[in-house]
Amino acid sequence: MAETSTPETRVWRDELRRRWALASPAMIVITLFSILPLMVMVVYSFLAPGLYGNVIWEFSLRGWAGVFTERDLFDDTLGIAWAHVTILGRSVALALATTALTLVFGLPTAWFIATRHPSTRAFWLFLITIPFWTNLLVRTIAIQEVIRADGTINRILLSMGVIDAPFAMMFTNGAVLLGMSYVFLPLMVLPVYAAIEKFDFRLAEAAYDLHASRLYCLRRVILPLMKPGIVAGSILVFIPALGAYVTPRLMGGGRAMMWGNLIDLQFGQGRNWPLGAALSVVLTLVVAGALVWYVRATAAKGGRDG
Amino acid sequence: MLEVQSLSKTFGIGASAYHALRAVDVTIAEGEFFTLLGPSGCGKTTLLRLIAGFEQPTAGRLVLDERDIAAIPPNRRPVNTVFQNYALFPHLSVAQNVGFGLEAQRRPATEVKARVAEMLDLVQMGHLRDRRSSELSGGQQQRVALARALAPKPRILLLDEPLSALDLKLRKDMQTELKRLQQETGLTFIFVTHDQDEALTMSDRIAVMEGGRLQQVATPRTLYDDPANRFVAGFIGDTNFLQGEARGGSVTLAGLPPAPLAGANARSGPVTVLVRPEHVVIGHSVPQALQVEGRVERLVFSGTDTHVHLRLGQGETLVARTQNSLHSGTALEQGAAVNAFLPLEALRLLPDEAAHG
Ligand SMILES: Nc1ncnc2c1ncn2[C@@H]1O[C@H](COP(=O)(O)OP(=O)(O)OP(=O)(O)O)[C@@H](O)[C@H]1O
Ligand SMILES: [Mg+2]
Repeated sequence: MAETSTPETRVWRDELRRRWALASPAMIVITLFSILPLMVMVVYSFLAPGLYGNVIWEFSLRGWAGVFTERDLFDDTLGIAWAHVTILGRSVALALATTALTLVFGLPTAWFIATRHPSTRAFWLFLITIPFWTNLLVRTIAIQEVIRADGTINRILLSMGVIDAPFAMMFTNGAVLLGMSYVFLPLMVLPVYAAIEKFDFRLAEAAYDLHASRLYCLRRVILPLMKPGIVAGSILVFIPALGAYVTPRLMGGGRAMMWGNLIDLQFGQGRNWPLGAALSVVLTLVVAGALVWYVRATAAKGGRDG
Repeated sequence: MLEVQSLSKTFGIGASAYHALRAVDVTIAEGEFFTLLGPSGCGKTTLLRLIAGFEQPTAGRLVLDERDIAAIPPNRRPVNTVFQNYALFPHLSVAQNVGFGLEAQRRPATEVKARVAEMLDLVQMGHLRDRRSSELSGGQQQRVALARALAPKPRILLLDEPLSALDLKLRKDMQTELKRLQQETGLTFIFVTHDQDEALTMSDRIAVMEGGRLQQVATPRTLYDDPANRFVAGFIGDTNFLQGEARGGSVTLAGLPPAPLAGANARSGPVTVLVRPEHVVIGHSVPQALQVEGRVERLVFSGTDTHVHLRLGQGETLVARTQNSLHSGTALEQGAAVNAFLPLEALRLLPDEAAHG
């Protein structure tokens, strides 16, 4: 312990103490609002379900067993819960598809806004954020109105004679995807916009001067420098999309169910809180996986192709 | 050889049109260190951007090796640029920055590697090859930008005020180095600066620009000794402008006997005569010179020289520069009456301004 008294280590120790002091409000908030609820979920997932919801305080693996397995209704044998696998697969696939779709539409939108004259940019940004003022439910119902059997699109197509029977769009994976992409689009546009706005277009000019084609410049210079924004937008869309339940419920009904609806079901009608808690923990783990990828992707020092 | 033929560039249209370049004509020779010199906003960058291909000319032609290059996009012109702010790619390493131009052309990896190493040696940056370009000092960034632009072996290298962001000492070093590099590679450099010392010390030829026009294109020596007009004379070095009257082949400066000056034959009426401060002799008489009387108004010490501001009898001021050598005789004092001599061969008759726009 002799070395602890050298001036450098003392300075370092003081520095550490000061950092902890500064970080403590954040720590308290994180503990109170993030870690504690998560612990409650983890604990509940290992308890037994009560008859009318709630939990019975005894250790039980029934919740977790319910995540992966199910009892056959007729012969009571234990089998893999394929329905859960399907729903998880659909949730991940739809969340990824939503991320991709918002990226496809969000990137050009953000580009458009960022390349406007500075005085008009605020106006375009304002338009993008308008949906945020509206309740999620209202927004989802609005888009429902567009694609219903007797909704706007079908009526236009019918009156133009393109189709002669309404085109079924509601309660499909496509409807959920459309609804979620619409709802989450601003979450993609804003961080991507911030990245594009920071981008120094003289760098694109330099690349062009150095014999880069437009595509090469996009791939080697523009996209790598916008990657932090794109990754942030993707995370901001992917995480809520994975856990979404209002939009899938309204747009997908009971057929295109997502993980969030499954959790909702266990805490609600199913009255199986431990199973609901276990399902929530699974969701949290998937999200954590996505975040690990995020940290890796943004911390990676400019690799070959960024 | 690059021929710039009556090149014009106008930004905007109608009433808000701005003529950044007006009918610029110049031919830049192979392997030449050619400098564009002029005050801020005179169109230097605009001319460079036209040559690089970032702007399209409003009128005129750009001919490189007998080929009109106007239609060739920047990425296919055999021309590379060292940008005013360097514009290094912050997400790439030094080596990746230097190799960018070659990789963009899909050259084989072995060639890229060899050329990058060669370029980094050339600018003495080999030891920092894996450093991120955002973690370099100004001078280092400058070297990387230079290596990056040289790597694809351009026919012409364009440099837009590459040294303006450096401090004086580093700037002097880089001037020498740039010149060495240009001589070693034998490449044509088109160099932009608004620093006349930089232009004079480095260039083979200088084009002095003002208001989108080339005022004079000449060697540093000619530019200094025989400026084409008042703007060039005033912009390059310090000058005394004296008013005179031309008649019958000689020029009469106020209160002095007529003097035969080169070019006076063709002129009559009021003229401007210029004389550089270092050519004015104070204290001892010289043959073939005009003698003027004056009073020392101010003495400004500047290290190697002292600038002597004289008030002449007619109220005009004349600045002389005397060297501060050990044997420079008796020191001048403020208020002292002195005789100054203007050697005839140092007097230059400015061409008639009215002939130009
Ligand atoms: N894209 C543009 N649109 C309108 N005007 C422009 C544009 N680019 C340049 N100009 C104008 O053309 C003139 C010449 O600009 P340029 O950048 O060539 O000057 P410069 O000689 O390089 O000056 P500096 O030494 O300050 O870099 C300026 O008055 C500038 O305002
Ligand atoms: Mg400029």
